[in-house]
Amino acid sequence: MSYPHDVMKDFAGAVSRYPDRPAITHNGRTLTYTELHAWVRATARRLRPRPGVVGVLASRSPATVAGLLGTLAAGGTYVPIDPAHPWPRRRALMSASGCATVIATEPTEPTKPTEPAEPGGRLVGLPSLPDLAESAHKPEPDTDVVVAGDDPAYILFTSGSTGAPKPVVTPRRAITTATRALRELFGLTPGDRVLQFASLNWDTCFEEILPTLTTGATLVFHDHAHSGSFHRVLRMIDAERITVLDLPSAFWHELVRHLVDERATLPACVRLVVIGGEAVSPARLADWRALGTDGIRLVNTYGCTETTLITHAIDLHGPLAAGGTGERVPIGRPLPHVRQHLSEDGELLVGGPSLALGYRGLPEATAERFVELGSERYFRTGDRVSPVADGSAADGPAADGALVYEGRLDHELKIRGIRVDPGEVEAQISGHPRVGAVAVAGVTVADHTTLAAYIVPGPSADDDPTLAADIRDYLRDRVPCHLVPSRITVVPELVYTASGKVDRAGSHRRYASATV
Amino acid sequence: MNVNAVSDVFRRVLENPEVSADSDFFVMGGDSLLATRVLSAIARASGVELDFDDFLDAPTPSALAKKIASQA
Repeated sequence: MSYPHDVMKDFAGAVSRYPDRPAITHNGRTLTYTELHAWVRATARRLRPRPGVVGVLASRSPATVAGLLGTLAAGGTYVPIDPAHPWPRRRALMSASGCATVIATEPTEPTKPTEPAEPGGRLVGLPSLPDLAESAHKPEPDTDVVVAGDDPAYILFTSGSTGAPKPVVTPRRAITTATRALRELFGLTPGDRVLQFASLNWDTCFEEILPTLTTGATLVFHDHAHSGSFHRVLRMIDAERITVLDLPSAFWHELVRHLVDERATLPACVRLVVIGGEAVSPARLADWRALGTDGIRLVNTYGCTETTLITHAIDLHGPLAAGGTGERVPIGRPLPHVRQHLSEDGELLVGGPSLALGYRGLPEATAERFVELGSERYFRTGDRVSPVADGSAADGPAADGALVYEGRLDHELKIRGIRVDPGEVEAQISGHPRVGAVAVAGVTVADHTTLAAYIVPGPSADDDPTLAADIRDYLRDRVPCHLVPSRITVVPELVYTASGKVDRAGSHRRYASATV
Repeated sequence: MNVNAVSDVFRRVLENPEVSADSDFFVMGGDSLLATRVLSAIARASGVELDFDDFLDAPTPSALAKKIASQA
């Protein structure tokens, strides 16, 4: 590899230092670093020569990790394709990412076509584990693929207001830099056992996978992590001796509520809990501190897909006094690799080596969000922030230089930690033949944010009692579930602003009480 | 847990008094996060630990009460 610090070089380093340590466990079954390495190399061999953009049907299993690392080892660009997403969505994402090769991590169902969108594309099966026993004994010299820091490592999608998600292209330099920074932030050692919790179709999972597998630590997959039952989750954490949890703030809020109700605490094996994705509730933080969690480090984090994983973090354990920052919990200070700039209107701009290359095929959107300041490139996050007041007595030095989130400059919302532009959902709903007009607003139900859609029927759909249910089905066939509003209400008219634009919040206020 | 007790849990979690025995939790604004509150409350009250898939199968108070009874 031509540039010195590629993330796959760091993985190879862990393999050579800890060949027999467990790299991944899945429901109790273990894969050593040597075995994982063989799997990754076999996958890479199937993709050679340089595979371009590789779509991986990212089911929640170690196979997806083999697909990710195999793609990177072959010098390709990884794009996760959620097998649970409706087929039109998958096809649109494959096409927008230029994906010419698809890896199936599981036998594919004949009813769900998986062929690549590009002409001449190919479908590659992942080598199965039993095949490896053989190849491990006759190691072929891997001809090193030459990669550069600017080579695209992966493509992920963020919500776009026009209805089409925007493909963010992240270079190898960015993911390598962020991975190193997170090993440092998490203080990972080979003894750590990190729970795989995040969706494998979202970048948060790289926070779990890459720092762990470049340290020699163990990544733990377990079906109970997503069972919905905290009783099972907590027993599994104990039985699997999990030391690190990386959770969406909204899920952590529910976990804390559960622990309070049960008068319980986390199993003693847990040493670090990382949270992020949306604002941390000061009330849940106070609950957490009252739970007897003194031995557990709690770190709040902030980052955007366009700036690669976590860019800001702060320890919430220790001297940062509850209530000292008023009603808001800080999102953190910039990590060492991050440069930041606050614009006059308080927008956070992030620069440094972890920046994405831009939005694939969208030069205007790229130019709008990735801007030059002096001679440096910065990403406009769209988030308004303010620094915690210097040396405010209650906080002491712990909060110095930390930022507090103030809100969005645009209409973007966070739904279960995922950025959503209500315009994208409105554009999708408008495609329904019986919809006249639509407004989508973020509403807070039982202290977390969900989407509510207010729909004016088109002329052909007046008085149609099945319209709301029909629109729900229509969306479920087209978009991932976090984009399907949890409340859909048919209304006679929307509220408009003085300038004639749909007033999303106003429409919500007028009809909220009528919502079922 | 009978239907009324499960309906009460729905009302509390959804912050919505208009829950009937046949109200679908996920149509009334419930999502996977709020579902964990329902599952925790059921486990506390009845000792039955259901998971998310059970709830998706039986998303109304009446169906969920039957599921709880069958596993108690």
